[in-house]
This record gives sequence, structure tokens and C-alpha cells, in this order.
Amino acid sequence: MKALKRTVLYDSHVKSGASLVDFGGWEMPLNYKSGMVEEHIYTRSKAGIFDVSHMGRFVVSGGEAAKFLQYVLTNNVFSLDIKQAQYTMIPNGNGGALDDAYLYRFCEDEYLLVVNASNTEKDWAHLNKKIEEFDARITNKSEELAMISVQGPDSKNVLSKLAGSDYLTEPVKNALGILDFNGKEVLIAKTGYTGEPLGFELFVEASGAAYIWERLLECGAMPIGLGARDTLRLEAGLPLYGHELGLDINGSEIPIFSCPLAKFAVSFAEAKGDYIGRESLVKQYEGFKKIMERDFSGLSVLPKIIRPITLIGRGVSRAGCKVYKGGREVGYITSATMVPYLKTEGTGLESRITGDKALRAIGLALVDGDVVPKDNVEVEIRGNKVKAVIPPYHLKSDAPPFARPIIYGDEAGHKLESPTDYKTKALNLLEKSYDNTLWRQHETINLIPSEQSHSSAVRLLSVMDPSFRYAEHKKTKSFYDYDVFYYQGTGFINEVEHLLMEEMKKYFNCAEAETRIISGQMANTAVFSAMMDFKNRVNRKKEASRLGYVLNNHIIRGGHLSAQPMGALHDYIAIDPVTEKAAVVNFPVEKDNIFKIDVEETKKVLEKYKPELIIFGKSMVLHKEPVREIRKFVDEQKINTVIMYDMAHVLGLTGDYFQDPFAEGAEIVTGSTHKTFFGTQRGIIAGNYNKDDYKYRLWETIETRVFPGSVSNHHLGTMLGLLMASYEMNNFKDEYQKNVIQNARYFAKSLKNAGLDVAGDPSVSYTETHQVIIRVGYGTGPEIANRLENNNIIVNYQATPEEEGFTASGAIRLGVSEMTRFGFGYNELEQTAGYMADVILRNKSVKEEVKELRRNFTELKYCFTEDDIKKSLEKLMSTF
Amino acid sequence: MNTIEGLKYSNDHEWVKVDGKMAYIGITDYAQHSLGDIVFVDLPGIGSKLNKGEILGVVESVKAASDVYMPADGTVVKINETIIDDPALLNKDAFENWMIYVELNDPEELKQLMSTAEYIEFCSK
Repeated sequence: MKALKRTVLYDSHVKSGASLVDFGGWEMPLNYKSGMVEEHIYTRSKAGIFDVSHMGRFVVSGGEAAKFLQYVLTNNVFSLDIKQAQYTMIPNGNGGALDDAYLYRFCEDEYLLVVNASNTEKDWAHLNKKIEEFDARITNKSEELAMISVQGPDSKNVLSKLAGSDYLTEPVKNALGILDFNGKEVLIAKTGYTGEPLGFELFVEASGAAYIWERLLECGAMPIGLGARDTLRLEAGLPLYGHELGLDINGSEIPIFSCPLAKFAVSFAEAKGDYIGRESLVKQYEGFKKIMERDFSGLSVLPKIIRPITLIGRGVSRAGCKVYKGGREVGYITSATMVPYLKTEGTGLESRITGDKALRAIGLALVDGDVVPKDNVEVEIRGNKVKAVIPPYHLKSDAPPFARPIIYGDEAGHKLESPTDYKTKALNLLEKSYDNTLWRQHETINLIPSEQSHSSAVRLLSVMDPSFRYAEHKKTKSFYDYDVFYYQGTGFINEVEHLLMEEMKKYFNCAEAETRIISGQMANTAVFSAMMDFKNRVNRKKEASRLGYVLNNHIIRGGHLSAQPMGALHDYIAIDPVTEKAAVVNFPVEKDNIFKIDVEETKKVLEKYKPELIIFGKSMVLHKEPVREIRKFVDEQKINTVIMYDMAHVLGLTGDYFQDPFAEGAEIVTGSTHKTFFGTQRGIIAGNYNKDDYKYRLWETIETRVFPGSVSNHHLGTMLGLLMASYEMNNFKDEYQKNVIQNARYFAKSLKNAGLDVAGDPSVSYTETHQVIIRVGYGTGPEIANRLENNNIIVNYQATPEEEGFTASGAIRLGVSEMTRFGFGYNELEQTAGYMADVILRNKSVKEEVKELRRNFTELKYCFTEDDIKKSLEKLMSTF
Repeated sequence: MNTIEGLKYSNDHEWVKVDGKMAYIGITDYAQHSLGDIVFVDLPGIGSKLNKGEILGVVESVKAASDVYMPADGTVVKINETIIDDPALLNKDAFENWMIYVELNDPEELKQLMSTAEYIEFCSK
């Protein structure tokens, strides 16, 4: 009998008490002493390590390396950036897969392909044959390079400890990094086969693998065998070659698109050219799209598809069990078993993972294309038909750091208590609103940076008569650009609008202001829409081409969601046909200060991409944006672009104490009028185009994209309030802006002295804006923000640039503008810092002290408080 | 591998604890160890009449399903619900956690089963 192969970690497995089995010719651990159930649970709650050195590792290099890989793999190699990985398949000519695989690009000219252990020899033979037609080389590095997977919510902490560095890779899936572990180079990938949102695979030189494995164990990771590796990937809905891919139970080829992950692994980009199996895959894809749209007419093209399946009745289904729907046999189970999970209690962000284990019989099945999620089916187990159902998925990973099992039948419910008669409902609402107003206006310390309180004058004006009227108007060329109003009774509001435009132009020191827009994000949408319209103005007969490339701040780095493809940019951003991704490129940030744009690196990006739109602005903001430097550069390089600054948070700081965007070279400024600006909740678009400038047409397009493009009614009440707020702003801004920034800096220093981890550059006292950011520990942001709220201190939890998403937030974000307006000075901020440290570091209760502090600071400053103003306000109130 | 004196053992790794005409039946420590983490148990209905060699139930692990066989003819009088709710109990203590309690048709049939010493030798082969 041929001896089984062993990886370089064999001795470690024996030492850990592994039960060893034959897996594809390798002697591998099936499980260790803890057993499969414990190993599965430990990976989902802490960190598990897996020896995956038995898998095949090939390196492809040479002049035509990419061209070769485009031919033998299904995914688009041109969309693979350096330090990025992608899921892919090795297609055969018949529309099936020889193997599924992962392609890693650690450096510019080399690609690392990782394949399944059971297919290594077959893949190696196939790739060596195909590479003969290309100027490229393939090397088998499976022996030289060992591979260890580290998965689970603690995996990041464990690896950071080992690497002596908090930074491993960018916090996005498929990102790669190169680390130094005690002088040894280790390649690290944010990839995995468990469905864990935090997980990494390491490539290390074989001779150093055992050392790293032992160190990982010392840092608290548990060794996990192939048994739990299978239950983890099954729960995550990931395919296993030989079950969901390859040959089916009857020996026929499973089409690649029967596996729903195919849409991530297969590309039909033109730039990819012809490749093995492309023709068949294109046909399959049509069948796949039809199934997804519940159109079952094309089932002959793609007759079957892999679906998750859950038993409802008692039993354990296994691979091979037949599946029935309505008495008819529709397929069979490809993989299934009993899988453990930990129960949760509570709902939403407050849900807590308990220590209680439970089991569920789940699996994957290859079934007819018309078997869809929510279908009731039956599984034949040992002669008996057991009730089952097709759930949409078994596990979700969109709330890091935990992968969350989704138990079929469990649903989040909202129970709202409500009396039946409307008068009581109305009365309750009034009472609750009164209580809420008192709470927030008198009892809490409000530190949410995007919020402000409004003066009584602003508040009252917002609900006076025009707040239920219409005043649509449009400039008409026939009347020399005078506005034509479509409604009557609009004399007053017409005057208000013109006054508001003048105040805004004065505030920004610019040529134009559009005030009808009712939110910051809507302002951005209108600008993007106008830019797209302006771009296509010469030819209206074909479909409009979208914007691209656009340079913005990535949301992870604090960019506002407006400027992301998922936000306002969604319907206006083009897809780059070569990379098949959105034509967006992000501002690079300084290595030593991730909150600051790296100007020199940005220049390189500008030269490479020549973006047609540059969007400055962030919602997590500690520094000025380098508008002046970038304007200078694009002018020197004659790059045809539009520089826009979404001031959002910092709109109220425009001026000598922060930045003057138009003076620095921005052409368009958008913003919310309710963050550092004195309210009401609206948007603003300001521009500096001369009437003689050819781009003045762009400004006019912005105006029409606002009305009639974005609004019909433009909320006249808040517009009236905004005029008062702009009077307050223009009158009091020098004092206000100076105090806000001084207060922010003092607050930051006080928090630091109180023992908190304040982010930012100490040499500028941590901030140049109204914001202060405190790191509180990975994943604890939401809990800390809750704790502070229970103590009447209201802050935001925030994901810093190193975190994967808001549920993993490790920071809180503070702003001093509202409390500055209530009169807080250095003393009060220092006290607040002390209370915050008490709550965050010592879990003390300080609610009464906070209420006491706030009690003496309930009068809003920077507004008109003279007697005649007060009398006028009383008159307004009498109209109610 | 644990065994307990005074029990009878079958070739399929079941144990029997006789008490006159009644008997407790379960699976041995050897069986639970080979199976690994037990995740599912199926037991017969109360009142079932089962013959020697018939399948009385199933014990399943993550990786495999294992039938459990009647060591002698009998009628099921009680079943152990606790192992249905928590199959892992069989891993914790296979002898403490019996599966079924039966009334034997003919306790003499049990003479064909192994003694503790014979079972230990059987397992060591």
C-alpha cells in the first residue's frame, strides 16, 4: 500500500492528539482531542487554525502570465489588483470545472494559484500542457511553501500579536499583505473557507511552518481538523469539489453555474478574450439568470442548481439522500450533516451570543431549477421521507466580527405597544415629544458631530406659514434668466429665497448658490446628475455615458457614503470594462496618519487615472482637505476635471479658522446646512463659475437637476428657518468657529489626559475640525456608545480605517459644535472628559453628575437674544 | 476505553444490564469513542416488540450513522429521553446514559453475549 503523504506540520498534529485519516493520499487530522463539535464552535467564537498545506500551490510568472491565466481560469485576471486575491475556477471544455481555486497576486508579475489537494496532480498536468502556447512559466511550490488558515473573530488579535503589528491587510475581503514574523517573511491573505468575516490564510516557508503553528497555539488558537473544516464550509454554503462541483452522483458533469458562487468566479469581460469553456458558460449564464428571475422556461440550459436545505423533521440528512417536492423527485443532497451553533438572545445590534450549544441538520442539495427558497420539500433518509425546507442561506457574515448562523423560522419581531383610539395616540405622541425635547435639550451632553441645536427663532420660523406652501420656480431664458413662479401667493418666499442666496454667496464668498435642495446627499446626487448630463450635452440621441473615473475618499477612510457607489454615486458611476468594477479610485492616505490624504501619492493617482471628477470631503474628519495643492497640480498638468468639495460636517467652519474652499480652488461646494452650520436640516450647492466660463452651463444644469430634477416642493418652512440661521452664521461665525476648533483641541487633550486613546496627530492637538475620535477597542464601539447614552452622554460609534464595517466599530466619534453653542468652555469639556473616562475605563455610573453639569448650559449662544427679538418671537408664537 | 463489571456485551458494542426479566441496553464507551461527537439519537417507540438482531435505533455522529441492534428478543418499556435532547451525553458517559429499558422474552438468550473480560479481549484485536 502506498504510504500516505505528510505535511510539515504532521508532528504538531500528533503532539496535539489528532485522529489522523487518509485524505486524498495525505495523512491529515480529522479532528483533535476536543472533537468536531467543539472545534466548529471554537472557530465561530474565538480562533481556529487549520493545516491546509496539503493543497496545491503553483506560481505562474513570465511575460504572458496574465494572458495564460485569462485562458485557463474563469475569472478576470485584469481585475486583480496587486495585493488582491480572487475566487476562480479551472474550467474544462464542457462547461464543468476541473477544480475551483483561488488566485493571489502578492506582487506585480507573479500569480499564486491554490488548488484542492485531491486535484493537485490533475490540475498540474492540465496547466502544464496549456502553458506551452504562452510565454509563461509555472512552478510547483507546494512543498516549498506551507499554508495555514487562521479563522474566527479572534483571528485578527491572534495574528497581530504574532506579527507584532496591528496592520495585517486592508480590512476588506481578498486583501493581501506581506508581514515579518521574527525575521521570516509571511504572506497573508484575508481569505478563508469558513464564512468567518475575520479570517486569514498564511503562506510560509515550509521550514518555518511548525514554529508559527506552535506560536499560534500559544496565542490561544485551537487546532481544527478536516471534520470541522467541512461543517464550517457547509454552514457557510461554500462548495466542495466532488460534491457541489465536478461529477454528480450519476457521473455527469455539474455545470459551473449550478453552483451559485459561480457569479463571483466567472467573467465574460471582453478584455478576457476567448477562454476554455467560455462558450458553454455564456449559455449556462443565460439559464442561470432566468432561474434567478424565477423564469423557468430556460431549464434545459441549466436544469439544476445547488440550494441550501434544512431539515424540519427529526433526522440527519447525508450526501446522496434524495429530495422530493410535491411527491416528485427533484434532486439529491450533495453535502449535509448535523452542524452545531451557539444560541443568541436579544435582537439586533444588542443580540448576545450565549454559551448554549444547539444542533441543526443542514446541507446543500443539487435540485431542479424551479425549486426556490421557502419551498417545502422532503428528504428521504433511510427509507423515510422527512420534512425539509429550502432556506435562503444558513449563515450571514455582514455583521463582523462574528459569522451569524441564520436559523430558519427565527425572525426579528417588532412589538409596538399602541392604544386603539387616535386621540389617545395623539396625546401620547405630544407628551413623548415634550419629554424627548427636554431630555435632549436640558439633560444630555450632545456630542454627535453631525448634529446641532437651532435657535428658537430658527425653530419657530421653520413652522410658520410658508411651511405648507409651494413656490416652484425656474429661470427662463426668454426673461433674461428671471425666475418664473408656477404658484400664487409666493411674494414673501421669493424674497426669502433671494435673501438666502445672497447670504450663502456672502458666506462662501462665491458667485452662485442653489438653496432649493433639501439634504446634503441630495445635493451630491444633483451635482452627479448634472455632471453626467453636462458630459453628454453634445449627443442626446444615444444612451448617456456615466461618470468615470471619479476620485473620492473611501468610506473606510471616512469618506461620506454620498460619494460611494453604494450612495448617491450609484446611478451615475460607470463600470470600467477592463476591470469590471466601478470607475472609482480613492485618495491614498499617509502611512503615519490614516486620517490625512497623501498628496504626493494622490498626484500619481491623478496622473494615472485623470479622473473627470474629484470629490473632497469626509464624515470622519480631523484634517483639512488638500484642495489648494491638488488644484495647483491639476492646473499644471492640464487635467480636465471638476473639483468638488462635499463639506458636509465642516460647512459651518468655512473661513479663516479652517478652510476657504473656493479660495483654495474648488469649483463646487455641497453640504448639509445642519451639522456645524446652524441649521435647518437642508442641503446647499455653491458654485464659483463666471457667467462667461463655458462651465457655467454646468452650473445651470445643476440648477435644473435640483428643480425639476430632485425636488418639486422644496420645503419652504425649513428654507425660512435657514435664512435666519444664515443671518446668525454670518453674524457670529468668527467667535463660533474659533471657539469650536479651540474647544475640540482642548477636549481632545483632556480626553487623552483622562487616559483615553485619542486618534489623530498630537502635534496639531489631534484635530483641525470640530471632531475628536477615540479608539475604544475592536468591536466594542456600539457597546460603549450605549453605555455612554445610559449616562446621558450621546456619541456615535464609528469604524476606523482599520475596521471591516460598523458592527465591528472600535471607536467613537465626538463633535463639540453643539455643546460649544450651549456655552461649554474648557472647564466643562474637561469635566466631560473625566466623566467619559469614568464610563469607558471604569464602567462607573455618572448619569446624575452629567445631568447636573448640563443643567446650567441650556441657553443657546450665537443667536439674537435682545428684547425686541424676544418680543417678535412671542408674536410669532401667538399665531399658533 | 472503559468497561463495567457485571454487564454483558455484544459484538456490535452494545451493553446489557440484566435485572431478572428486565434489562437496560446502551452502547459502550468503545462505540462512542469510535463515533466521535454524537449529534443525533433515534429510539424505538414504547411498546415496540423487537427481535434479536433487529435495529432498535440509530446513533449518528457528524461523519456517520451507526445502527444499534437488539442483543435479545424483548419489548420496549422505557426510553431515555435525555439523550434525544442532548446526544452528547453518550460521549460523556456511555454506560450511565442507557438507551432503552426492555422486558426480555427469554433472559437465557443473553448467555450468548460476552463477559467483560471477553469483551475487553474482543476490542483489543
